[in-house]
Amino acid sequence: MIARADTHRRWRRIFLILGVIVGAYALLAPLTSLDIAQSAGVPLLADRLWFRIATFIAMFVVMATAWNIIGGITGYAAFGNVAFFGIGAYTTGMLISKARWPFLAALPVAPVMSTAFATVVGLPLLRLRGHYFAVASLGVGVAVGELVQNVEYRGQPIFGGASGLFLPIYAVDNRGLFFFYLMVLAAAISIAVTWWVLRSRLGYGLIAIRENEEAAAVIGVNTTAYKVAAFALAAALTGLAGGIFSQWNVFINQDNTFPIEYNVQMILMALLGGTGTVFGPAAGAVLLQLLIQFLGGSLPISADIPFVSESARPIVAQVILGVLLVVVVIFVPRGVIDFFGGRTRLSLAYLRRSLRETSL
Amino acid sequence: MVDFVQLVILGLLAGGVYVAVGVGFGLVWGVLNIVNLAHGALVVVGGYLTWQLFTTLHLDPFLTLPVDAVALFVFGYALQRGVINRIIRAPLLFTFLLTFGLNLIVVNLLLLIFGSDFRSVTPSYSGQGFEFGSIVIPYVPLISLGVAIALSASLAFVLNRTRTGLAINAIASDRDAAQLVGIDLRHAYAVTYGLGAACAGVAGGLIALIQAITPTAGEPYTLQAFVVVILGGLGRVSATVVGGLAFGLVEAFGQSIPGSGSVFANAIAFGLMVLVLVTRPQGLMGRLR
Repeated sequence: MIARADTHRRWRRIFLILGVIVGAYALLAPLTSLDIAQSAGVPLLADRLWFRIATFIAMFVVMATAWNIIGGITGYAAFGNVAFFGIGAYTTGMLISKARWPFLAALPVAPVMSTAFATVVGLPLLRLRGHYFAVASLGVGVAVGELVQNVEYRGQPIFGGASGLFLPIYAVDNRGLFFFYLMVLAAAISIAVTWWVLRSRLGYGLIAIRENEEAAAVIGVNTTAYKVAAFALAAALTGLAGGIFSQWNVFINQDNTFPIEYNVQMILMALLGGTGTVFGPAAGAVLLQLLIQFLGGSLPISADIPFVSESARPIVAQVILGVLLVVVVIFVPRGVIDFFGGRTRLSLAYLRRSLRETSL
Repeated sequence: MVDFVQLVILGLLAGGVYVAVGVGFGLVWGVLNIVNLAHGALVVVGGYLTWQLFTTLHLDPFLTLPVDAVALFVFGYALQRGVINRIIRAPLLFTFLLTFGLNLIVVNLLLLIFGSDFRSVTPSYSGQGFEFGSIVIPYVPLISLGVAIALSASLAFVLNRTRTGLAINAIASDRDAAQLVGIDLRHAYAVTYGLGAACAGVAGGLIALIQAITPTAGEPYTLQAFVVVILGGLGRVSATVVGGLAFGLVEAFGQSIPGSGSVFANAIAFGLMVLVLVTRPQGLMGRLR
């Protein structure tokens, strides 16, 4: 036992050091793109592509961490969280492009709107359990996307319609740097919120609901209020990410703010990193998003996939992603963070055990 | 009045395809408790099989449907036996993710094989129909509705009148008890999924006749299957038939709402689905289990 606790601690330390190094690199590299650093002859570590990918990763950190609050801690398989992202994006986008609000005034409205929406929708939906909740939330996600694209008033699309919504470019020096740090701030907020939730009365109530909802109600947890609170919290964070995305990307439409595959990606990230933990979903988001970008060929370091032509590459990348998804779900059901915790080691016995536990 | 009758007819005919898309999905969901996100991809595979047989062998598209069914039964059986059976005891989210992964694989393999061009199957009689006064009944959707009803009826027959069907019903009501009385669970699960895939294949063949298909077109079919199954209710084939026809009607009326109503058809359908889920989770005709 003592030896195990020792390895446990050692793995924790290695993992922590690794995280600090990656975090420090991600936070400091952008500074080399400042004019002062450039004139001082510091090598440029972050170009436009770097900012684009890093901001995307931070965005998924927010979404996966937010999903974890309702999906991981509360145990409700939300499959339509992308609706909150889209609502946040369109709230900020409309306020900026139509009402001419300044970005920093329009941004806080995004989480407010998506929270309000989540509360209204959550009250009836969260009465459903299991598959039914998943399917209903998926339906809400799809329906909201369709409505936003198609609602018209006197023949004019209210939200820009199928051609989308263009925002004026936000005038700020070092745009890439600004939006990267803003998204990282959002990610930090969502991780801090998760940390707080897990230590609060709310969090204990949510975990009780996940483990046994009837029992939780019996011991005095107001299950409806708690579930809606978790749903609204996830919505607020996701909406914040959407709001930042709209001004960062300058152009929003149904395809880039309500994509169904984001629903799957955020869940997969949370699962990969470990649901119900504080840092797991964030780690999963970084890993999976890097992998997606790598397979898609947009990272500076890229390997050729043998026997595959350049044009077929994105398609083959998707096939590999699918195979990976299947393999992870079958063999590593508790997430890769299991290994870093030091409690378990990646071994044939582990794979065989997880197979035996879940298969027919 | 004539418009109304025409609308009802078109809605019911369109519902035929939705019935076909829904029955397999409902079977897999109701019996195996798997929400099969790869269903749409299987539908598209069926569509491409029909297209391939039609263009290379010049077979009548409706004659290719049994081929679709058999091919997809085999594929579905192997998929369930080899892959999906491995996670049956895992939390429900895992089946979502696993079937989404399978969907990704199938769709992108289709893209590699067939490219992203739209393909359509157009026999000589497509686009023609009967005329009663001013009401038109097109042939292809009419035969499709007939095929869908026949498909549902034969599925109901298999489920209620054969030994295999009894085994499937047994695992639907209690998996462990079914195992105790000697049912080979792995085989029965695989047969059930295979039957679901076969229905998807037939649905794909019908869809290829009605609209152009492309590998990435599967997602709407999965979503439609959701709506159909929820509307009708889980657990009975006849409920899915009602759900499919109801969905066809809802869509036809949704599209006829004056002033760009057609673009709201999906939103109306999904709004209705959420409404049914919240107010009557067992569906219009379903039994609560």
